[in-house]
Amino acid sequence: MPIPSDEGWIDRFVDRLPETRLFKLVASWILVPLWARLTPVKPLPGGPHPSFQHGDNVQCMMNLIMPLKDKSPVGRALAALAIAQNKEAIFAGLNNVGTVHFARFVIVGDNICMFSVYDGDFTNYIRDFIATIGSVFNAVVELVEGGEEVIPCEDNVEAFIQWVHERDLYQVPDTATDFLRDQEALNGDRAVSPVNDDLTLLPRKLVLQLRANPNVSLGSGYRAYPGFSVAQVRKHLGVGW
Amino acid sequence: MSAMFDLAELQGNILRGYTKKPHVRYLILEVADRSAARRWLASSVSGRGDGVPQITTGDWGPNKPDTCFNIGLTYEGLRALGTPSASLEMFPNEFVEGMTARALKLGDVGPSAPENWPAPFNEPKRIHLIATIYAEKVEQLNEVQERALYDREALTLLGTREGYNFPGDFVHFGYRDNITQPRFEEIHDPDRYPDRQPRAPLGTVLLGHPTNLEGLTWRVPLPAELGHNGTFNAFRVLKQDVAGFEEYLDRAASDLLKHPQVDELLQPGDEEKIGKGLSRRAALREIVAANLCGRWRDGTPLALSADAPDPKADLTDFDYVGVGDSRCPHGAHIRRCNPRGGQIVQRIANNSRRLVRRGVPYGPPYDPAKRDRDEPEPERGLLGNFIGASLGAQFEAMSCDWLNLGLQDPRITGSNDPISGANDPVTSWFDLPLKSGGTIRLRGLPRFVLTRGGAYTFLPSLSAIRFLGSL
Repeated sequence: MPIPSDEGWIDRFVDRLPETRLFKLVASWILVPLWARLTPVKPLPGGPHPSFQHGDNVQCMMNLIMPLKDKSPVGRALAALAIAQNKEAIFAGLNNVGTVHFARFVIVGDNICMFSVYDGDFTNYIRDFIATIGSVFNAVVELVEGGEEVIPCEDNVEAFIQWVHERDLYQVPDTATDFLRDQEALNGDRAVSPVNDDLTLLPRKLVLQLRANPNVSLGSGYRAYPGFSVAQVRKHLGVGW
Repeated sequence: MSAMFDLAELQGNILRGYTKKPHVRYLILEVADRSAARRWLASSVSGRGDGVPQITTGDWGPNKPDTCFNIGLTYEGLRALGTPSASLEMFPNEFVEGMTARALKLGDVGPSAPENWPAPFNEPKRIHLIATIYAEKVEQLNEVQERALYDREALTLLGTREGYNFPGDFVHFGYRDNITQPRFEEIHDPDRYPDRQPRAPLGTVLLGHPTNLEGLTWRVPLPAELGHNGTFNAFRVLKQDVAGFEEYLDRAASDLLKHPQVDELLQPGDEEKIGKGLSRRAALREIVAANLCGRWRDGTPLALSADAPDPKADLTDFDYVGVGDSRCPHGAHIRRCNPRGGQIVQRIANNSRRLVRRGVPYGPPYDPAKRDRDEPEPERGLLGNFIGASLGAQFEAMSCDWLNLGLQDPRITGSNDPISGANDPVTSWFDLPLKSGGTIRLRGLPRFVLTRGGAYTFLPSLSAIRFLGSL
């Protein structure tokens, strides 16, 4: 039996408005672009949020999305081939980096993606990765939009690290206030202090941010054994580290 | 030194320790007027001895200088001088962002956080140039400072920091100092400087040369005269809580005396081996101090002499290859900073994060007999320079993953460096190794070192100083 409500017809109309087709169209094509124009939002940087806590600095996630130059089945096949031809060398290199839990390559749409879980600082991970298998990875990067600017990556270490960082997905924090903090941090010296934490603006801010960062990682993810480095796990399992 | 390239192109403090000049003063400066500051730079390499102090180079010729004078420029300093934007864009991110923006990576959190730094480090964007004077006497420091600041249109003095090398080469926590630095290919004669570590490639400390990571080179800001043979410096003002350190040793020794396995750490009757006339408690204090550092206080490496200080032990010629925890803890300060050839998680990183370290103590030496517990201790610590061609690949990589995460060895992951780490007594721990293979875990280590200021600077070559002076 429905619970009696004292809502009038106007309340009911407004509540249902966001579900109407017309309103959705108006919001997507007029309202959001207008907001974006009035309050421009910069894309948020990728990777985990910097933290000093030990537990936050192991099992970090990298979600690297690299748009292919050739956006056709042939382009995707070339990417698949580049991974297949260099898979052994890449995996051996990741093993030598020493701080990588998992890494896999995935094609999503016209993107070649590398998803990995690693320990420690992101720049150290990528620098060690280049030092170990940079010359092999160049074969993958040359198939990617903008890749020619950073290969050979052994000669463009700083630029390559930045390039990867820019293609690593922004990781939406687990809490709303941390998301607002990230937005404020982008403003640098112009940041409002204390952080502008008007949570009533959150839906609008999130919509605008997802316009600037169409692809994001949601939350910090699930971990079955949080706080342990790959070397600690391997040592415990007796498989060498 | 037997250099195969022109040492006169380098600032002298990169490869020389100036150990015979115990007084050191840092002038923290702001560019007051761009043109005047450029003229000041040009004068500093003009060869004329009457005006702005001349930059000391790596080539002293037949006569040692009475005083030495060197400079470092921050990113804001390079901007203030009007360095072309195309050149500025080629400097690495960590240098562009500056030390305060990298606080989390460096463990500058809580009381060490930049927002707690005193002037002039509380306004990092105003710090443009850090000049360093080295001399035998304070009067010489004053004289060089006066000459450096004579043209008030060029540079504004924001503040100074001054240090003094204690006689006997020891530093505030009572350890022997000035023991070792990386020896470089093309510079140092291996027969003259025995060291079981491989000689470091020049790219460890100079831009434009091969690095320790095979095939990798760091970006050299162009034009070449600006970037080539330059390097970077992490200047740090590190306050040391010596009273707290000694109190911790007291507490640890007292706890160890009650520990059932203490005899494994120190056989009864062996106290004399640790130091003449030492009580059992005092000897245990020294054992804890040695394990925290990785060296006995006289400098003897635990890797060579784990049971007692050995005056005959070579202080530099050792490695951690095959050196188990029972000889030198994996978490010991010097092993964390530089694992040498020992096994580490990041297999390719051995010897790749080495730094040239130039430090001088500041504040009075600690004297427990003079301590007044009702009065706060005078501030004392270290004015440290950590020099390397890549701040990111060397100084920050070491600070972040090794000092404050312990990622290089699964047995220490999740702990901070026992001496310089950002420890919290609630969670901190350190494992003292036993010969049986077990450990005694020490807990409750407080933070002994606090950051009280600092800046990332670029140490330009002499050509670069001329280039900047001629802009």
